[in-house]
Amino acid sequence: MSEKKDQQDHGLEAAWIRELAGILEETGLTEIEIEKDKVRLRVSRQGGAVAYAPAPAAAPAAPAPATSAPAPSASHPGAVKSPMVGTVYLSPSPGADPFAREGSQVSEGQTVLIVEAMKTMNPIVAPRAGKVLQILVSDAQPVEFDEPLLIIE
Amino acid sequence: MFNKVLIANRGEIALRIHRACKELGISTVAVHSTADENAMHVRLADESVCIGPPSPKDSYLNIPAIISAAEITGADAIHPGYGFLSENARFADIVAAHNITFIGPNAEHIRVMGDKIAAKDAVGKAGIPLVPGSDGAVNSYEEAKAAADKIGFPVLVKASSGGGGRGMKLARTPADLAEALSTAKAESKAAFGDDAVYLEKYLELPRHIELQIIADSHGNVVQLGERDCSLQRRHQKVLEEALSPALTDKERVRIGETVRKAIEKLGYLGAGTVEFLYENGEFYFIEMNTRLQVEHPITEQVTGVDLVREQILVATGAKLSFNQADIKFKGHAIECRVNAEDPKTFRPSPGEIKQFHSAGGPGVRFDSAVYTGYKIPPYYDSMIGKLIVYGDDRAHCIARLRRALSEMVFVGIETTVPLFVDLVEDPSFQQGDYHIHWLEEWLAKSA
Repeated sequence: MSEKKDQQDHGLEAAWIRELAGILEETGLTEIEIEKDKVRLRVSRQGGAVAYAPAPAAAPAAPAPATSAPAPSASHPGAVKSPMVGTVYLSPSPGADPFAREGSQVSEGQTVLIVEAMKTMNPIVAPRAGKVLQILVSDAQPVEFDEPLLIIE
Repeated sequence: MFNKVLIANRGEIALRIHRACKELGISTVAVHSTADENAMHVRLADESVCIGPPSPKDSYLNIPAIISAAEITGADAIHPGYGFLSENARFADIVAAHNITFIGPNAEHIRVMGDKIAAKDAVGKAGIPLVPGSDGAVNSYEEAKAAADKIGFPVLVKASSGGGGRGMKLARTPADLAEALSTAKAESKAAFGDDAVYLEKYLELPRHIELQIIADSHGNVVQLGERDCSLQRRHQKVLEEALSPALTDKERVRIGETVRKAIEKLGYLGAGTVEFLYENGEFYFIEMNTRLQVEHPITEQVTGVDLVREQILVATGAKLSFNQADIKFKGHAIECRVNAEDPKTFRPSPGEIKQFHSAGGPGVRFDSAVYTGYKIPPYYDSMIGKLIVYGDDRAHCIARLRRALSEMVFVGIETTVPLFVDLVEDPSFQQGDYHIHWLEEWLAKSA
């Protein structure tokens, strides 16, 4: 009984497949999926060469640098960069108020940060008057030469 | 063992030091100028610190920046490489004052060997044969003439603070001497800040033979054989060989033991090279370099000793893991210094290496920090790699070198590889028959 039913079903499916295959040819589609009466059929074509982009020549692996990658703000015209290697401090002494906060106005020549190098404190001054847009470093963070410290607009 | 070593150098030697550290399980800190942000060793090191703008004075020679970088990274030792601060006694002192280990000799030895007159005095007393010369500095024409008469013309007027082939003037006759003296003094003052000069006998056709030594802090000194560095252009070495094709085993053993005993007497620590001019079976001391040398790999090839590794171990206070009796020389090695220069005019060729492919295969080692896409900065010296080839004997080594040179690919820059391709075919080179003026004569002929 079921055998006969199967045969019948297979016959139906075969007809569908042929029809779908025909539609693929005609239309140039590569895949058709159809569901009818709880039967789902998918016909797909593996035509010709499947083009894919050759894997690009491996660039030399760059392991993630341990120091912070330059923030996008490094290129901001108002970015003030560290002139030396050392440790940056936001306040004149531990617990004291910071030299400058984000949003505050500073005047040209005003000390905004300190970079300590080899036990000497080196003031970092605002190169021009403006508003502190962003402070890019945290207190007692090691900094390298040219590292962006803050942005003054 | 050190936890973290700061590499105070750049280029291929910085990479070499990084590799030795990694093999010992030591973390590395690469300090670099803004021009070296994409240097291979910077990318590979565990940490990197930008210490200044491109100019060496503001970066690789910037002592405060380097010390500061050591402080913020917590490095417990600094390896200075070669050149830059490696023979700067003041730097060695400052490093020690910060409780950081300087991987090298103590500052006093650096100081003595950096002063060419004092160096001759020190090694002479320790038994090393010297070039006949003036007894210390000559301060007037009369003094110079008297010394020159004793030594015998021709003589070289040399800057006491010079070295590395700089600050030397030739006087073939007494008539030349006055001018040589005043020019040498003026140039020395300008280049080294000190116009002290001394005289040495000028050897016509010597070879440059140097001995590698390494000493630990337990009194053990081992000599690792000689290198023949006679092939030079403008006092810069171009190709080096270990061992020298010119020495007999007897000469080798004799000079090796003389040098070893002398270094032992000096109480030296670390790696060092004692340089000689060699002519007619005689050795004449010229200078001692208290650092690792560029051409150290050829000694590594024929002895099996990893010199940078030993430098680091010795600096930790460990004993050398071998004695003199353990050292056996095997095979032959040649190093070609590959420069980013036009092979005929030697005009520097910085810029982007569009394509690079290294030679490989048995017995071939290319010590270099370049890669495809790397942009050679114009601020530093032009050497971009060292091709080091090893063979069972000199002929095998040369055959391998010829083969390896044919595999090197550089697109986008000029290099001196073609110079070596031609040199390897020269019969005199093949016979090992050359001296310190030979290469310049050969270059002039083929121009």
